[in-house]
Amino acid sequence: MGLSRHVLGLAAALAVGFVSPASAEKVFRQANDLSFGGAESLDPLSSNRFIEVVALIYSRLMREGENGEASPELATSWTANADATEWTLTLQPGVKFHDGSDFDAADVAYSLSRIEDPALESPVASVLGIIDRVEVVDPMTVKIILEAPHAGLPLLLLDYRVRMIPEGSGPTINENPVGTGPFKVEAVDAEGTTTLVANEGYWEGRPKLDKIQFTAIPDAEARNQAMLAGQLDYNLMTAEQAPLFADNPAFQVQSFPGGQWVGAVFRANAEPFTDPRVRRALRIAVDRNAMLTLLEGPDGGAVGCDTPVKLSDPNRANLECPQDIEGAKALLAEAGYPDGIDIELFTSDVSPGMVRFAEVYQAQVAPAGIRVNVNLAPSDGYWDDVWLKEPAFVTAWDGRPADQFLNEIFRTGAGNNESFYSDPAFDALLDKARSTVDVEAARALYVQAQQMQFDDGGTSIPFLKNGRRVLSGKVTGILPKPEEFIRWHMVDLTE
Amino acid sequence: MSGTYVLRAVLSQPSGAIGVTLVVGHVMLAVLSQLVLPHDPIAQSAELILQAPSLSHPFGTDRLGRDILSRAMLGGREAMMIATLATLVAMIWGTAVGLFLALIGGRTDTYGMRIVDALSSIPGILIVMIFVAALGVGATALIPILGCSYGLSVVYIARAAALDFVARDFVLAAQARGEARATILIREILPNVRDTLAVQGAMQVSWLLLGIASLSFLGLGVAPPTPDWGLMIADGRGVMPTAPWVVLWPMAMLSSLIVGVNLAADAFAKALGVDRQMGVRAA
Repeated sequence: MGLSRHVLGLAAALAVGFVSPASAEKVFRQANDLSFGGAESLDPLSSNRFIEVVALIYSRLMREGENGEASPELATSWTANADATEWTLTLQPGVKFHDGSDFDAADVAYSLSRIEDPALESPVASVLGIIDRVEVVDPMTVKIILEAPHAGLPLLLLDYRVRMIPEGSGPTINENPVGTGPFKVEAVDAEGTTTLVANEGYWEGRPKLDKIQFTAIPDAEARNQAMLAGQLDYNLMTAEQAPLFADNPAFQVQSFPGGQWVGAVFRANAEPFTDPRVRRALRIAVDRNAMLTLLEGPDGGAVGCDTPVKLSDPNRANLECPQDIEGAKALLAEAGYPDGIDIELFTSDVSPGMVRFAEVYQAQVAPAGIRVNVNLAPSDGYWDDVWLKEPAFVTAWDGRPADQFLNEIFRTGAGNNESFYSDPAFDALLDKARSTVDVEAARALYVQAQQMQFDDGGTSIPFLKNGRRVLSGKVTGILPKPEEFIRWHMVDLTE
Repeated sequence: MSGTYVLRAVLSQPSGAIGVTLVVGHVMLAVLSQLVLPHDPIAQSAELILQAPSLSHPFGTDRLGRDILSRAMLGGREAMMIATLATLVAMIWGTAVGLFLALIGGRTDTYGMRIVDALSSIPGILIVMIFVAALGVGATALIPILGCSYGLSVVYIARAAALDFVARDFVLAAQARGEARATILIREILPNVRDTLAVQGAMQVSWLLLGIASLSFLGLGVAPPTPDWGLMIADGRGVMPTAPWVVLWPMAMLSSLIVGVNLAADAFAKALGVDRQMGVRAA
């Protein structure tokens, strides 16, 4: 009958209509926070690197294993000579770059040698400047020769910026980003939409997603609203945002010991912070436990004594530092400020909690006679115009291991030495720790270095916070662990 | 018209009575609230984070456990002070320039007004943001910046109002007597445009209040820990779905003040017989 044919036709059309979305492209939607205000670079070594994208298109030699140890990625195995000055790495065969060329030892030698290119001014140089040269033994073997022994080289190669690019591609890598990662660049607009597509030839298997799309949303609250509105599949969040997503089947909430921190930096090369007594007073006046509870909740992280080293690192110093208002007053008086001190602290909405950190800091140190004027700077371009420029500012970092962090943000002249701290004794201590092959002895030296930072450093780091993220209900393959543990080719969207 | 007569005419209109009550209430709150604050407005408390309204905290608490009632009571003080002083700055220079151009006329008037047109074409908040970024925040920077920027609209109003009088016999007579321009402006023209300018001044206050709240919301206005409605709204918007009271109360305070000023200005205009349309900013 005519009618039933129509009904069947309609049913078929409906069925197609319902089926086709499932077979449609799987597009995973994220936001990028526009940290560099549109000056984002796709060069993994750039200090302006497009953080979210770089990790997806380039691979490292090693990546974090189950417990944060170095485990194979593009290097399958490695051995050191007896005094840890020469490291031989065997590479993963059959890996191809996005442009179809083969990945081999020459690419490794080139990518590692770029770190010390003075023109790049890469912050990594302060960490991996110890590499003297890299020799190509055969296409699948490289030998890294160090200037001085370093028993922990594999941990340094976990650095999230040490990523492999084709030999000679450095000058054009920003315009022509070619890596070996699970995703390839289709279109880049750091201030608009950036689209990555699956790398069909990825050596660990084709990614389950077809595309990853980044939308620029500089404001943390706006990212949260976009997540709530179902416009994103993945977002980092703060403790107080968790109730918005909890008990809602449309979302999955994850919490994990991370190591992210927000801190106040007082530049050792700017008045009045040139006096170490002033710097110490500004840090010991903080009530770390109260601040953690106020900003992240009682289970929101772990307090520490101004050490940035992540919790899982055995080289982290575990010192005691209760709030010491009287001590701070005494130090300020000694330094010539018997009536207290006025400081201007810059902060911004650019990373969650940075403004409230400044407000809590301001309230906590007031009894010590430290009068803080909180200056709210615009989030656009904060890292370019305020960070490293103003004498005192709020900063934010992800968790990192001891050797990397201590060398990168406290060593004299290091690119990310935001507090402009400089002490030859401290640098010598780090050198000694690196060349100490005995693990326990090296640990004692790293702990001593952190003690030095607590004694006269310029960075207040009251606590490390737990990481929190929210995923849309469809996401699978992301474990409750920090970003660096995510295997993006395993991530999927299921209905 | 005597002041008492005008006030009676304003209060006899229901909208005027409501407007004046709201404004007077806000001013009294700003002046006296320090004496009757239920809690310390900047005391932070981990135990009290984001508490819903209760007997001890009738407006609830914010993300750092601070009492919102106390903060909302104080949150308009800076903005009201800055708005009033910036209005004075705007009215003084805007009136002076507007009346001067109207009296002089000719090319000076034409070129002068084209400059004012050009400056008015730039969004006010943008000008203010650029200067705030350069000169910093705080009342001492905001009052001159806002006063200069918001005075542009006063130039139009003052000039338009004065043009009605520059060709009148009493002005021509004063010119024939050889009186100085300044004397003519102050003694002959200003008294005639006073009512129009008074209404314009009242409207300026409400625009400035909104402007200051926007700047605070963007982090360019009042600095923490001073309680401020714009800052409170900015800080609370992230928790709006779970703790709406954090933004609700500062929003209610800000809007009631602005509505109050507008209603009062409207009634004031009617009482003085001023055409309120002249008071609409050429935005």
